[in-house]
Amino acid sequence: MSFSESDKNGFSNETSIQNDNVLLDAIKNKLNEVEDAVFKNIQTADELVTIIYLSSLIEKLTLHRTVIAPLLTNKEDLLKSAEVPEKVNISSILSSITEGNTIVYFQSKNLFSTVNTYSPPTSSIANSDTESTVSGPRDAFTESLQTNLSLVKRRIQNTRLKNRDYIIGTETNTKVSVLYIEKIVNDNNLTKVINKIEAIDYRGFNDITILAQLMEDHQFSPFPQYQVTERPDMVTSSLIDGRVVIMMNNSIGAVICPSSFLGFFMSPEDYYNRWTTATLLRCIRFFGFFLTIMLTPFYISALSHHPEMLPYEVLKSLYESRSRVPFPPVIEVLFMELVIEVLREAGSRMPTKIGQTIGIVGGIVIGTAAVEAGLVSNILIVLVAISALLSFLPPSYKMSNASRFVRYIFILSAGFFGLYGQMIAFAWLIYHLVNLTSLGTPFMSPVIPRKWTDLLDSIVLAPTSFLKHKKGVASAESKKVLPENREE
Amino acid sequence: MDQNQTKVLNGYHVVFLVHLVMSGNILLTLPNLLSPLGFSQWWFPLLFGVIANLLLIPMIWIALKYKQHNLFAIHELLLGKWLGRSLNGFLILYAVLTLASVVEGYLDLIQIIALPDRTIIGPLIVFMLLLVYIVNGDIKSIARFCIISFFLVVWILFFLKWAIGEGDIKHILPLFNFTRQEFFTATKNGFIAMSGFEIILFYFPYIICQKKAFKQASLGIWITVSVYFVTVFASVMYYSEWQLENVMYPVLYLLNAVTLPFLERVDVLAISLWVFLILTTAAAFLWVAKKGLDSIRDKEKKSHLYIIAAIVFGIVSIPFPAEYQKMVYERVYYSNYGFMIWPSFLCIIHLLKTKKEVVK
Repeated sequence: MSFSESDKNGFSNETSIQNDNVLLDAIKNKLNEVEDAVFKNIQTADELVTIIYLSSLIEKLTLHRTVIAPLLTNKEDLLKSAEVPEKVNISSILSSITEGNTIVYFQSKNLFSTVNTYSPPTSSIANSDTESTVSGPRDAFTESLQTNLSLVKRRIQNTRLKNRDYIIGTETNTKVSVLYIEKIVNDNNLTKVINKIEAIDYRGFNDITILAQLMEDHQFSPFPQYQVTERPDMVTSSLIDGRVVIMMNNSIGAVICPSSFLGFFMSPEDYYNRWTTATLLRCIRFFGFFLTIMLTPFYISALSHHPEMLPYEVLKSLYESRSRVPFPPVIEVLFMELVIEVLREAGSRMPTKIGQTIGIVGGIVIGTAAVEAGLVSNILIVLVAISALLSFLPPSYKMSNASRFVRYIFILSAGFFGLYGQMIAFAWLIYHLVNLTSLGTPFMSPVIPRKWTDLLDSIVLAPTSFLKHKKGVASAESKKVLPENREE
Repeated sequence: MDQNQTKVLNGYHVVFLVHLVMSGNILLTLPNLLSPLGFSQWWFPLLFGVIANLLLIPMIWIALKYKQHNLFAIHELLLGKWLGRSLNGFLILYAVLTLASVVEGYLDLIQIIALPDRTIIGPLIVFMLLLVYIVNGDIKSIARFCIISFFLVVWILFFLKWAIGEGDIKHILPLFNFTRQEFFTATKNGFIAMSGFEIILFYFPYIICQKKAFKQASLGIWITVSVYFVTVFASVMYYSEWQLENVMYPVLYLLNAVTLPFLERVDVLAISLWVFLILTTAAAFLWVAKKGLDSIRDKEKKSHLYIIAAIVFGIVSIPFPAEYQKMVYERVYYSNYGFMIWPSFLCIIHLLKTKKEVVK
């Protein structure tokens, strides 16, 4: 709650009442045609009090409990617990109102005070839809920044966990919070994040992914350069690794800065599993990424340009399966891949129950019918299905999307130049990845730059007792996880 | 020159830059080039390694005397502006022609083995586009690409297992079954496989720990020598002397000994994957040519890179008479030997110049 005397904030004593009335009129004027803006006069025991608030941001019960009831019963308590705004002017009052506060104007005392009554309807803490795990914590971030902060702070109960707030978006005035752990975070990384946020000039933010894209070092790359997670446990492990995390009001994601390519293939669940299982799963995810972009292009290369590469038996079954297909392999693959894309997109846009039906219709009816109609070979159906499944292996949905896009580059390269084209595309991919940076840190860490201890937590995950060092990607100030992280 | 910004190459970068720039097309033909020696050729990569390492000494010595300057600048400092720049012009020509020969040699192979029904224009265009994209980054980007390329390609050596398994170990004896003439012919033909390490003279100013550069470059050379040694050794075991003499790309056909249930022609896969080695070699030479043009024109411009790439594209795509082309490329190869020895002369010039200055 905030509270101030208007005469201490730029209004002379003689004209304060007049000025405050002018201010009140100005507020009314500014909030004209804002239908949820409420101006209510309340007659207390000794004076008239005006309260101003936006009803869409405030729950009635909260308003009654924190403002109206104290005003009517014990006004002194309300005055004592009030917060003092730095300036009383039209913009600060309006900004306070749009933040969900209630302005309380005591007419006889010429006092403006603000009471924090922000209590919009929020979704409850639930499982993450895109990063669900079998074991481990089930809570995920919500659209409320306060709730999200509490989810992190209840995990890291340490005063060195800092959060700095910024307002971005010239039209939306969206609040973002930059989280880091003091003495662990690399100051250069923190400065870079803050500089990037302060330099942002963008109209509005509906989601934190927009902010992540604006902060990227290479905006033309098909690859996401910052991990966006909905999981508090992932944010916690990133923070204690020395990274900077950004959260935004009205967004269920948190941006992890910097991120590495390998990080996109790691799930928090890996640490809850046995290291052997986690290693197996990481290998499948990582190599699955390269397989998904290589599998169908290899089909094109082998059939269009290098049939001699394949043994006779394999070649025979391939030719038999596509004996009725009139198109060249590249058209066949493009057709089938696009059908899968259409199914995927249609499935994700439709209501859940219809989406499931579309999946079944697509998978069985279209697939079988396409083979029977001689449009595609049944071997290709198998390859495309495997390829589609593999593309969903990365825990990050953004990386999964990137693999889908990159696959088309490989398909076209294979169509034009066979295996040579595929390797040229692969060389491009590798060079591109090697030179990508996330917050100025090489994206391919720990391969480039090398950090040998990071190899214990890379594609292979060592037993937990070996994971004593922070990851190199964050260039953390103190290298070991324990005991420096403990409160001094 | 901002020291912090220019010194970007660490030890790993140097090792793999030296190694990957050396490894190129020549590895595929090395046993054939060394065929005058017959079966005794198998230990020659080791001899070449020793010679290359000896040649590296004056290179590093002169580079350490001019730590902040590449060879183009050293030439101007030691020989004066006009003579130095004229020599730099030749160096640019040498880099361009070497690059053209490497690219053309590889694309010819691609056409023969992987894309027999295509002209090389399409593959050449995509190759050059990627090459320009790679060189558009700095030398550090090229070095990083070298490191990754090494690990992506080195596993092909595993396929030699089949050739070694089917070969005859008795071929390695006797060790010295050749004449002096055969020795010189094979050395003249085969030592070209060691070319590429001399490029260190151009990226030396970018090395962080220059005092360790000799050790790092030597390691790069000996990794190359190890790869050559294993390959030539497997070829000697697998082939007859007649085959070594008459099969033009023995290493490629060596891979045909591989029997896998799902892959019939490993050579197609290998030659396609080889593009990584060619890209690293070509990128280094294109970068050198670009730096040369920058130094001659006294300004760093991206357009220099595009101009050189366009020239290389023209040289490779224009169908010159085969004999003429062969003659030009052979001379480029032999001028490479001159380039390897040239730093020794630069050392002498430096010593003379320093002595003269002391006397003054």
